[in-house]
Amino acid sequence: MRRVAVVLLTALLAAAGFTPAATNAARAAETLPVRPDSLKFAVIGDTGTGDTPEYDVGQRMAAARTAFPFDTVLMLGDNMYGPQDPQDFVTKFERPYSTLLQAGVRFYATLGNHDDQNNRFYKPFNMGGERYFTFVKKNVRFFVLDTNQLDPKQRAWFDDMLQRSDDRWRICFFHHPIYSDAARHGSDVSLRVILEPLFVKYGIDVVFSGHDHVYERLRPQKGITYFVSGSGGALRRGDVRPSELTAAYYDQDQAFMLVEVVGDDLFFEAVARSGATVDSGVIHRAPVGSRASR
Amino acid sequence: MKSHALATHRVAVHRRRRSSVTRLLDRFVHLYLALPAGVAIALVWANTMPEPYFVFAHSLAFPVNEIGMALFVGLIMQEIVEAVMPGGALHSWRRWSLPLLAAAGGMMGSAGLYLAYVHGHYESILETGWPIACAIDIAAAYYVLKTILPRSGALPFVLLLAIATNLVGMLVIAPQYQVVAVHGGGLGVMLVALGIAGAMRALRVRSFWPYLVVCGTLSWVAFYREGLHPAFALVPIVPFLPHEPRRLDLLADPPDDDAVHHFEHEWNTLVQGILFLFGLVNGGVLLRGYDTGTWALLLGALVGRPLGILTAVGAAVAAGWHLPRGLGWRQLVVAAFASSSGFTFALFFATGILSTGPLLAQLTIGAVGTAAGSLLAIGAARLFRVGRFAR
Repeated sequence: MRRVAVVLLTALLAAAGFTPAATNAARAAETLPVRPDSLKFAVIGDTGTGDTPEYDVGQRMAAARTAFPFDTVLMLGDNMYGPQDPQDFVTKFERPYSTLLQAGVRFYATLGNHDDQNNRFYKPFNMGGERYFTFVKKNVRFFVLDTNQLDPKQRAWFDDMLQRSDDRWRICFFHHPIYSDAARHGSDVSLRVILEPLFVKYGIDVVFSGHDHVYERLRPQKGITYFVSGSGGALRRGDVRPSELTAAYYDQDQAFMLVEVVGDDLFFEAVARSGATVDSGVIHRAPVGSRASR
Repeated sequence: MKSHALATHRVAVHRRRRSSVTRLLDRFVHLYLALPAGVAIALVWANTMPEPYFVFAHSLAFPVNEIGMALFVGLIMQEIVEAVMPGGALHSWRRWSLPLLAAAGGMMGSAGLYLAYVHGHYESILETGWPIACAIDIAAAYYVLKTILPRSGALPFVLLLAIATNLVGMLVIAPQYQVVAVHGGGLGVMLVALGIAGAMRALRVRSFWPYLVVCGTLSWVAFYREGLHPAFALVPIVPFLPHEPRRLDLLADPPDDDAVHHFEHEWNTLVQGILFLFGLVNGGVLLRGYDTGTWALLLGALVGRPLGILTAVGAAVAAGWHLPRGLGWRQLVVAAFASSSGFTFALFFATGILSTGPLLAQLTIGAVGTAAGSLLAIGAARLFRVGRFAR
């Protein structure tokens, strides 16, 4: 009951454009169960500006980790803006997240439109030199796609990997959102008509994207929950135009996500640069067959 | 008696209506309006009902882009072969030297500015799109120049540079076809296709269709199996087809006065239908999908190409070349802008280089936007008071 009240309150505050006051780091995990054996990860998107807000978010993530010990970070693309020389990898990635990197946290990146394609060879991004790849953490399989262009080879690979997967949770992340209420880019429908049938057919549970520099959670579409988390460094203030698809959003400051998977439940929090929780909730994994009718 | 008269009247009205519809369709075909019409419908459809549009477009993309467009590329090849064969308008190589230099300058200008813009915005992922910035819509250039500079040397000059430019673009994109796997064995199938085409030629088969259907299908399979863009499948078959030398009206629908021209007329009509579908399937993009690639493409085509052409021709003239008869500098500026529209070929190159996604969307918007080049040419003609605007 308390969790529902928090979700409603934060959604209302966000809808009113209210920026919650800064709170302490421990608060950043208040709605997450923080079980010792669960999978815990963070999500950031559109980070690589090298500006102060990116560093602030990096520090906030490090502080949150003291209460919520995640060991994985998903990077949703546009991990680097502007020049991408060796020094830029230091100022736009290694330094902002230095505490996390030193603690052994592993980052898994997907490529955005601003990323140099050769960044897939950069070891700390853990892409194995591939534009699209998959990896498993505990009972969750992650599928990482390159949505800059969905070439036939990638589509065939994705279809094959989905068929082979018998993991309990299937989470997909890529740069361009197929559902988004942001004004600048919004939903990429040309990608949606290709990807969504595969998501539904093979039971993808949750999808994370960036590209729009805001935070948004969409109401489940055909049983799948979509998040846009593209304000880890860049921000387009006031860009969300809420619609009937919008479940919650925050477009007033930079934000990142904390996620915990416990059994058939996925708990999430969206945390603003200030440390305030701007959205939270739980997603219960649905049986694959029941998706299309919802 | 009255009812008979009424029936006769109805038949006459029906015939008149039918003939006016046929005339309208003929005009539509003759003016190459099928593709713009398809793109216009697609843009409205995609921006009002995106999901049904993209489901439709996705389902038809392969048959239209990979199969249907083979007939378009084949027809362009047929027209080029006929223009450069003995007796053709472009047979004399002396006519090629300056347009070839202009083509090289235009390509350097458009690709250079495109790449400079993309690099300036640190979006190296768009680099592969440079041939799209080079593409020239031959039909648009042809009709614009025929309308505003009908009796100058601009028309053959621009046609030559457009053909040379697009041939280079085609050579670049043909091997970039993105396939799941290369199956191999295509060379053997191609040899069979060429053998049958040679036999048909020896047997003096005059109809195009056996060449296109039998040999073209085999060639298509060969291209596809080898991972080459199958839209180019008719290129090796076209030289075996019956030919008639072409006049300078390179893209004009040929007069239906002999067997070869009759088949070309039929072929052209079919291609216009395919171009309509091509525009419908590929022209629909959400207008908010514009981004760096859109501006880079517009800058490359509308600014870089005219600048490159004029610079190259200026350098050639300084080195001792002469401008073609009837083509002064003012006309040349108009001709350079007339060649800045990439539209049909830019769309074709874009779908050949990129797969579905935001990159293709932003370059598609740019490709459609380059149609503004025709307006720039008209504006330049008004400004310089040349051709139709000379007073």
